[in-house]
Amino acid sequence: MKIILLLIAISMLVALGFLVAFFWAVRSGQYEDEYTPSVRILFDDKNEKS
Amino acid sequence: MTVPYKIPNEPVVQCSHCGEACEEPTLIGTEQSFCCQGCKLVYELLQENGLRNYYNIEQTPGLSLKALKAEQYAYLDDPEVKRQFVDYTDGKVGRVRFLLPQIHCASCIWLLEHLYQLDRGIQQSRVNFLKKEVHLSYSESDTSLSKIAGLLHKIGYPPAINLADLNSETPPTLSKSLYYKLGVTGFVFGNIMFMSFPEYLGLHRGEDAFYFHLFGYLNLLFGLPLVFYSGWDYLRSAYLGLRQGNLNIDLPISIGILSLFGRSAFEILSQTGAGYMDSLGGLIFFLLVGKWFQQKTYHSISFERDYQSYFPIAANRLEDNEEQATSLNKLQAGDQIIVRNQELIPADGILQSEKAYIDYSFVTGESAPVKVEKGALLYAGGRQTGAAIQIQLTKKVIQSYLVQLWNEHSFEQKTSKLAASQLANAVGKYFTIAILLISAATLLYWLPIDTAKAINAFSAVLIIACPCAVALSIPFTYGNVLRVLGRSQSYLKNTEVIEQVQRVTHIVFDKTGTLTERQEQLVFEGQLSTEEKDAVYSLACQSTHPRSQQICEYLKGAVKLEVTDFEEIPGEGIGGTIGGQRIYIGKGAAGTEILVDGLEKGYFGSKPQLRKGMKNTLHWLRQQFDISLLSGDHNRRPAFFSALFGGVEQLHFNHSPKEKLQYIEKLQQEGAVVMMVGDGLNDAGALQQANVGLVVTEEQNNFSPACDGVLSTASFQQFPNLINYIRQSRWVIYISYAFALCYNIIGLSYAVQGLLSPVIAAILMPLSSLSIVLLGISGSWWLARRLKLNTNQVVMNEIQ
Amino acid sequence: MSKVEQFYYDNAIVRNFAYATAIWGVVGMLAGLWAALQLVFPALNLDFAPTTFGRLRPLHTNAAIFAFVGNGIYMGVYHSLQRLLKTRMYSDALSKFHFWGWQAIIVAAAITLPLGITSSHEYAELEWPIDIAIALVWVAFGINMFGTILKRRETHLYVAIWFYIATWVTVTVLHVVKNLEIPVHMWKSIPVFAGVQDALVQWWYGHNAVAFFLTTPYLGLMYYYLPKAANRPVYSYRLSIIHFWALIFIYIWAGPHHLLYTSLPDWAQSLGMAFSLMLIAPSWGGMLNGLLTLRGAWDRVRNDPILKFLVVAVTAYGMATFEGPMMSIKSVNAISHYTDWTIGHVHVGTLGWNGMMTFGVLYWLLPRIFNTKLYSVKLANVHFWIATLGTLFYVVPLYWGGWTQSLMWKEFTADGFLKYGNFLETVTQIIPMYAMRALGGSIYLAGAILMCYNLFKTVRQGNLVANEMAEAPPRPVYAKHKGEHWHRWIERRPIQLLVGATIAILIGGMVEIFPMMMVDENVPKITSVKPYTPLELEGRDLYIREGCISCHSQMIRPFRSETERYGEYSKSGEFIYDRPFLWGSKRTGPDLHRLGGKYPDSWHYNHMLDPESMSPGSIMPPYPWLIENDLDTTYTAAKIKVLKMLNTPYPDNYNTRLYKEMREQASQIAASLNGDGIEQEQLERKEIVALIAYLQRLGTDIKPKPRAEAEGSTN
Repeated sequence: MKIILLLIAISMLVALGFLVAFFWAVRSGQYEDEYTPSVRILFDDKNEKS
Repeated sequence: MTVPYKIPNEPVVQCSHCGEACEEPTLIGTEQSFCCQGCKLVYELLQENGLRNYYNIEQTPGLSLKALKAEQYAYLDDPEVKRQFVDYTDGKVGRVRFLLPQIHCASCIWLLEHLYQLDRGIQQSRVNFLKKEVHLSYSESDTSLSKIAGLLHKIGYPPAINLADLNSETPPTLSKSLYYKLGVTGFVFGNIMFMSFPEYLGLHRGEDAFYFHLFGYLNLLFGLPLVFYSGWDYLRSAYLGLRQGNLNIDLPISIGILSLFGRSAFEILSQTGAGYMDSLGGLIFFLLVGKWFQQKTYHSISFERDYQSYFPIAANRLEDNEEQATSLNKLQAGDQIIVRNQELIPADGILQSEKAYIDYSFVTGESAPVKVEKGALLYAGGRQTGAAIQIQLTKKVIQSYLVQLWNEHSFEQKTSKLAASQLANAVGKYFTIAILLISAATLLYWLPIDTAKAINAFSAVLIIACPCAVALSIPFTYGNVLRVLGRSQSYLKNTEVIEQVQRVTHIVFDKTGTLTERQEQLVFEGQLSTEEKDAVYSLACQSTHPRSQQICEYLKGAVKLEVTDFEEIPGEGIGGTIGGQRIYIGKGAAGTEILVDGLEKGYFGSKPQLRKGMKNTLHWLRQQFDISLLSGDHNRRPAFFSALFGGVEQLHFNHSPKEKLQYIEKLQQEGAVVMMVGDGLNDAGALQQANVGLVVTEEQNNFSPACDGVLSTASFQQFPNLINYIRQSRWVIYISYAFALCYNIIGLSYAVQGLLSPVIAAILMPLSSLSIVLLGISGSWWLARRLKLNTNQVVMNEIQ
Repeated sequence: MSKVEQFYYDNAIVRNFAYATAIWGVVGMLAGLWAALQLVFPALNLDFAPTTFGRLRPLHTNAAIFAFVGNGIYMGVYHSLQRLLKTRMYSDALSKFHFWGWQAIIVAAAITLPLGITSSHEYAELEWPIDIAIALVWVAFGINMFGTILKRRETHLYVAIWFYIATWVTVTVLHVVKNLEIPVHMWKSIPVFAGVQDALVQWWYGHNAVAFFLTTPYLGLMYYYLPKAANRPVYSYRLSIIHFWALIFIYIWAGPHHLLYTSLPDWAQSLGMAFSLMLIAPSWGGMLNGLLTLRGAWDRVRNDPILKFLVVAVTAYGMATFEGPMMSIKSVNAISHYTDWTIGHVHVGTLGWNGMMTFGVLYWLLPRIFNTKLYSVKLANVHFWIATLGTLFYVVPLYWGGWTQSLMWKEFTADGFLKYGNFLETVTQIIPMYAMRALGGSIYLAGAILMCYNLFKTVRQGNLVANEMAEAPPRPVYAKHKGEHWHRWIERRPIQLLVGATIAILIGGMVEIFPMMMVDENVPKITSVKPYTPLELEGRDLYIREGCISCHSQMIRPFRSETERYGEYSKSGEFIYDRPFLWGSKRTGPDLHRLGGKYPDSWHYNHMLDPESMSPGSIMPPYPWLIENDLDTTYTAAKIKVLKMLNTPYPDNYNTRLYKEMREQASQIAASLNGDGIEQEQLERKEIVALIAYLQRLGTDIKPKPRAEAEGSTN
């Protein structure tokens, strides 16, 4: 069942990739504001000048 | 948006901008109406700039601009100020952060993120709703800080700028390293589980030796970051503790971590077993989650404020009769400065103008403005009410009397109050000793019989006895208590405060603003006919003198009539003719007397107004604690207060801030654990000195001096409940400890016999941790409900 | 210098995907309905090979998953991504390529699958050229998405985007690993993994395909469209963030639960089970977050069909994600596996979660990009009730049927005999349920058609805002954090990093472990197990072509009820030459693993010609063409060559004599058929002979049970 190794290796590397992504997210302050973004997406940016 | 916003329901014309009642007829139109010129201007401004959406997202989202007074932000362009104020600049693009207390709804967010439509120099602006901040990047060449601040001010979001913004670095909301640790631990823990489960699920060491060992080594690999990254803080603090010769809670935890890791590493490398890495992962994961849960931050409240949070950044200094906005840090003794109505006096100085009415409530808590004659010494922190005055400074800001207060010793040693949970450490100590004894006993018992087994059992004891429960129970229980309290608008600094409150024996109250309303109630003794009322009202409203304003407010609802030949006798009173009657309002023996055509009709006096429910509160407290009153002003109504406090000896009036501080010290020397409940800056010293310093404030965005907790006036009404809740919450902890003890006994019974297997550990340890967590959280909720604590006053900070 | 930038959202591409979603949705459901009806009226296969159940079912699943849901995902992503990031898609060319490429792939699938061109791997049936096409289009999609993220004007990546990213990265990996195969010719390839290994990869893929194609992207859509439709922020944004990371770190592990009680090692099975159970937590966290978003707005839900659709969708998600882990508990799985319960479960997810969510988004989104109002809210409401009703009518009977059949399979008489020794009894018993299910399906389909009409009218009354103008300030550019060097690096290249990680995964994974894959000494060798003869091999490929796997398993689980009925339970060692594995996942007909030698060749001949003649009442369709068609042996040698390359022990320079052996074996079978009085021109050349050869070989490598016992046990 060595195939399991392949799957484990791949799954683990995927997870590792996401761990790095998580680091980036925290580092770059993605999660410093845990509320406003949820409101921001509600705004439709139709331009109403004119 | 679930942001509560009051919309007046009486059938009056609503301001299209702020929804307040419109009284000024000239501003009432068919399409839109406005309560004031300010609102009208903003409305039009937004319309012109294609920002009308502001009014679609929420009903009349604005806040009334009636009260908004003109402000100068020129000082922000002073290179030195600017350098300190901006977060970042490369000369072309600057990034800056403004605190806008007015932010309250979705429309605010929308408008403030479309600022670029109002000032093309602004690039991107992003609101942090919970912190009530707007972060914006702007092009240095196209606009300036003062312009931006001015714009924000103009559209109804006056930035709150104070000295602290310059002189202190704002710390990040939550230490990122904790997030990293959580991420890593979560990842590692997940994988370790994956590697460890097979053994429990029937992976045979024999047949599947290959996987068995492979998983073992992988676990070992994952274990390294667990111990040397995620768990490092515990090891470190335990080590430091040992060096100082005290056994803190981190010591037994570290023992647990190390023995788990050591034993596992040995088993894996010697290929004798699967090890306990999953238990280790679980343990550290829970501990970190606990840490995270414990860190409840109230975005718009700061517990660490000093005078700088009250002082403006700049003052208007006279340079060859030219007013120059000058950074406060640059003010020198001898400088001439101008202080306008409602502005703060930044440093001690001599009054140059004829007279001034200084409101020292900041310093003394005494609300009534004091009249000061030319040449008198004015203290920093005083607030001028009335016409602008000129002052010659005698001291630099930092040398001023008020500022000296903050250099009291009690401020430095603040940190000592922030030691980790005393209870946990106390328990931890005995825990450690007990465990060491048991493990030693186990070792000695087995050694003669079977060395291998002896080592096995010995390490097993250390492993299973790891005090996750002790370590987790306080963060989760008290962490949740903080949340519960937060929902009832009482915000404690951290979980340590809870333990402090539980020890309190003596509660000291500041009078003004805590027991009594900040604004003293105006009472009229005498008789006035309706016409006279109207007349007095019309006259009083003419003057800016604080007392006149009070009277104007007091008689609100009367008809405003035309006032002819109005005269103001400085320091004496005002007079005027209304409907043929000559009215005079001015100084009298008893208070402010009213003369109609020379005849005294009566006078306005003022009496302190006790807060709602204060009587019962104090009554209840008296049975539980020693209580005493500490006030800056003089005792006007002795009987009244001694009745409340049961005796005159509990009352201490005319105390300077310094004396207040000393009084607290005295109590503490007598062995009391003191809780100080106050508000104004004048209590700052006492609040610091007290074991627990609580501040009562109208709304939590108000500045409050450094303290351990902030109570909204609303929550202050259920003060006894709060105290009760906090005190009883410790029982939740005790019960959890009892639980933990049971788990440990079970575990140890296996361990001492050397029968502990990874499965048992893997089941027992998370199980105990989980049950402790659940117990702590549910327990604290249940208790709150049982004590009928009103937790429905959800506020901004809680919307998340 | 700081000019506000004006730009245009690309709505044309969104419209295209929306249309595709609606159209393929109907097509996919139609195929499903047709297949469902054939279980009740076998004649509906029209005696036409391409439309028999075995070939129709993969067409249905592929259409539903990759055409309907697939286009739905792209519609949502292309619409929300632009707005969340305040920028147009990275490249219109890529957008177009993505759209037309994907539609081409769907058409290709719609052609090849009915032609019997299939790898027989569930949800990965498509043959290698199409696999490559998929990879290309998918990569184009990835470049387009990450390009857009890079040129975004909004700094913050909304949680939905994280779900999109996770989808792309994971599906990429899954697709590549799953389709490691060696081409024999244009329309035939042989997987590099055999037997148990192939099975494990298949279900690692199968489960994650569900997880990352049907779930994560739709969670992303939920986190965008539910708040938008309700016009209120998600209940807890923090929770949504936790939801994402928790899901990501657990989901990937849950695969093996599809193989409980198979020849997969116990611990690996249980592992899948354990992790599936853990999944409940994050999944329900997400569901609650979605539902609580509407707290205090339920009055709006009452009159807004869009919100209704979304609410039911989220609820269905909750149900499915609770049921799934339950079904992965071994004792439950013992009952549910191979039955229609699984089918029901799957449709709670697809009809309820994916379907309803898609409908809701379509209704919300099309009027907006066409700058008009929905043609008829009333019809939408009707559609909602129809869809809900249809789902219930579909799911409930299948649960009922599944349980009934499973219990009948396991029921013993007092004397210890199988109560329903004849498998057919357990089928006829639930045919009414099949009828009900077909009804439910048609109701659901009717709803979808109603929607198409409603959307059509909506589109007609509005006109497309192909390029929607918007303006936003540029994303400020300056060194934001003074962090450690490697952090800095990551910050500047979040996207490259993700892509890099993905590639690293592939290369790393392959290089290290690949060689070991080829031969697997861990699977216990059984000396008596031999490779298939060329004829059997061709027969096996017919078995694959006709999609027999849709209704017949080849995996006898170690239960008395199964060993009694089918014979010795399956050993992992028996499958080492099975490329691909054919364990199957559904028993509409009996298991075939021990079929070999159970019946005379003539029985099979007649059974294939007309199943009813051998087992009256059988709902198996007849396969006359197998008897008419000559067997195509053009590629036999090539197949053998590839298999040999994959270490199947065929003798050296075998191709010199393999055709001879083929003819010999064929004529033997033809002879035995003649012996039973079956006369036909050039019988030995016909496909049926090869198929019989394969069927008679099945499970005979290890000593078959004596006839006598077997007699009673199957039809």
